[in-house]
Amino acid sequence: MSHIDLRHITKRFGSFTAIENVDFRAEKGRIHALVGENGAGKTTLMRVLFGALQPDEGEVHIGSEAVRLQSSSDAIARGIGMVNQHDSVIPALPAWRNLILGAEDGPWLNQAAVIERAEALAKPLGFEFDWTAPAATMSPGATQKLEILKLLWRNAETMILDEPTAMLSPADAEGLYGTLRQLAEGGKTIIVVTHRLPEVLEGCDEVTVLRGGKLIESRPVAGLTAPQLAEAIVGRSVEAPELTPPNLGEENLVVENLTLGHSLRDVSFSLRAGELVGLAGVDGNGQRELLRSIMGVLRPDRGTIRLQGLNVTKASTRARLGAGLRLIAEDRYQEAMIASWPLVENAALGQHLRPPFARNGRRDLAATRVAAQAMAERFRTKFVSLDQPIGGLSGGNQQRFIAGRALADGGGVVLAFQPARGLDLAGIDDVYGALRAHTRAGGCALVVSFDLDELLAHCDRIITISHGELRVPAPEQARDREAIGRMMLGEEA
Amino acid sequence: MSEFATFFTNTLSLAVPLVLAGFGGLLSERSGVMNIALEGKLLVGACAAAVVGALTGNPYLGMVAALVASTVLSLAHAELTQRYRMDHIVAGMALNLIAIGATNYVSKLEQFSQTLSGVVRVPQAVLASIIVVLIAVVMAVILRGRGGLHLWAVGEDPVKARLVGLNPVAIRYLALLGTGLFCGLGGTWIMANASGFTDGMTAGRGFIALAALVLVGWRPLPLLAACLVFGAVQSLQLVFQGVPIMGTVWPSEVWAAMPYAVTLLALAGFAGSTKPPAGLGVQ
Repeated sequence: MSHIDLRHITKRFGSFTAIENVDFRAEKGRIHALVGENGAGKTTLMRVLFGALQPDEGEVHIGSEAVRLQSSSDAIARGIGMVNQHDSVIPALPAWRNLILGAEDGPWLNQAAVIERAEALAKPLGFEFDWTAPAATMSPGATQKLEILKLLWRNAETMILDEPTAMLSPADAEGLYGTLRQLAEGGKTIIVVTHRLPEVLEGCDEVTVLRGGKLIESRPVAGLTAPQLAEAIVGRSVEAPELTPPNLGEENLVVENLTLGHSLRDVSFSLRAGELVGLAGVDGNGQRELLRSIMGVLRPDRGTIRLQGLNVTKASTRARLGAGLRLIAEDRYQEAMIASWPLVENAALGQHLRPPFARNGRRDLAATRVAAQAMAERFRTKFVSLDQPIGGLSGGNQQRFIAGRALADGGGVVLAFQPARGLDLAGIDDVYGALRAHTRAGGCALVVSFDLDELLAHCDRIITISHGELRVPAPEQARDREAIGRMMLGEEA
Repeated sequence: MSEFATFFTNTLSLAVPLVLAGFGGLLSERSGVMNIALEGKLLVGACAAAVVGALTGNPYLGMVAALVASTVLSLAHAELTQRYRMDHIVAGMALNLIAIGATNYVSKLEQFSQTLSGVVRVPQAVLASIIVVLIAVVMAVILRGRGGLHLWAVGEDPVKARLVGLNPVAIRYLALLGTGLFCGLGGTWIMANASGFTDGMTAGRGFIALAALVLVGWRPLPLLAACLVFGAVQSLQLVFQGVPIMGTVWPSEVWAAMPYAVTLLALAGFAGSTKPPAGLGVQ
């Protein structure tokens, strides 16, 4: 008898059917993976189970009892807890206040009693916290642990985790699955929504695949291979990209002894024409500062930056753009686009003074339209009109358009910060495929990602950054996942 | 009374409206609603206390009227910023202008201008007891209570607060209700220490309280201390006016300007060094 049993669930939003006639079962003591591409209906299904959405058809059974979940509070009362993709920890509050927020047991808070019970929950899992320090001081891994404790504090029997490892280092991710295994052995029902297939194969017991809102299959993980799973998710066979060795040319970007406060310490590396280099590291270890320094947004304390042989250490961002430097920014809304402006205007952002967007000091609207059309088609951006605001596109399509813009005029140096964030498997292949094509055509690119597997799958070589120190793996460890993982944490390879 | 005792009681008396407006501002801004309308709320409170007190001859009815008037203005603030999602600064500005206009109009109505001279006052001991108890309770709730935790959470991040089951809009309405009550009491106190209602008689106290709030980084205990310091600066003028210092009598305007000058200097010195609630002004 399954502890969680969703039967024939259908959920529509207007005329759009998000999930159709989906069955989902999860047992106590097991870790169940729910996988699928963006828009496959994973999150919708889990929001139904968490009471945040009411299904149009179908039944929810918990512990063999048919239930009607009108709200998340109903679900919580039934022992269901959910850790969302974006954490719900408030940085300014101490850990113990975050733990109980929304689940206090009376009008007055008893710090000593809370910490005592919290310790009792944390100890068996091997968690240690400074309960009175602001949560802002906690690492992403510790924040994730606090999220799990929040569910235990609310007596959750069934735990839903949506992309729990998205912001974790490989070691922290492994630790997380250790914790989940321990919780499962203690009788909890664990459901993990993820797009990282190695996690499914190594960490989970059962897997359910959704595609286009429909159930594709639900089966034990044992005996399943990565290509089989990928094919079930995408609906066609997916081949791992073949990494042809790059045809190396001149050093297009040379960074020497770059130092910026405590964020960057004596960072030196170079990118040669023709290569796609991955910068692996845990979020917040200097990646942002490095890219901003190269773009000329931050001024380093020391060091030099050479672009196509020119020393641009003191040059303006505009001059660097002119020398062929391009950025696929981390935060689209803050750094890459103006959401309320149409696609055609966003196409010219940052390049609006240069051909083809302007000629003789005047904007060339016709040429801009042609360029924008090409950018949109490059990665099959789904859009209605070049005149529609870019904010109206889905996140994945915005990212496709912005990647298309950065790669529009080949040959340059492209910096990309988590370029595949928010994209599904097809989109990830599109973006990395384009970066590869760009480098094979004589350009070069540096990709920052927190997902080491993604970098290993697509990049020619990998460098790591930890606490602002950049390190290059020894040749024999160039593709050694464990060794690079240790370097990301600043340990010896 | 010795000169020092006078200075001390003056300081307390002048600090009270700052403390009340400051705590009103603390509730509002900690919940995420930027509040530049403390001044207006004090002003309508003072005016309502004067008018109703004088008309009925009952100072307690005046106090109730002050609480009601300030609270109505504060709930309008909640409506504008939470329901209609108006920019917090613009909403606060509008409410201040309404407060100035409305109190000017009421105080010049013929039927009132006669009676306004016959001011009745709530005894200071009664008012002071209410205020001490209220501040103590609110301080305890903020520092040790569930309510304080919820207030902090919605002010830091309303989206995350919603994820853990809180209702940020409801909490902000409650916080602004509290702001109204505090400012109403502040207006009552100002009237209880005045000879009658005059236009703009709050004289920027709401803004000084807001400055104190910013200076101390939106924390309750330091807020209390900062308001006492500002009260002390205000009472300096009562001590030193007309008293020669270093051989000259300084013009009274210098002493009158002192509280505002000190506010400005303090803000200039501390600006940017304190951390506001992360969700302040965020819808």
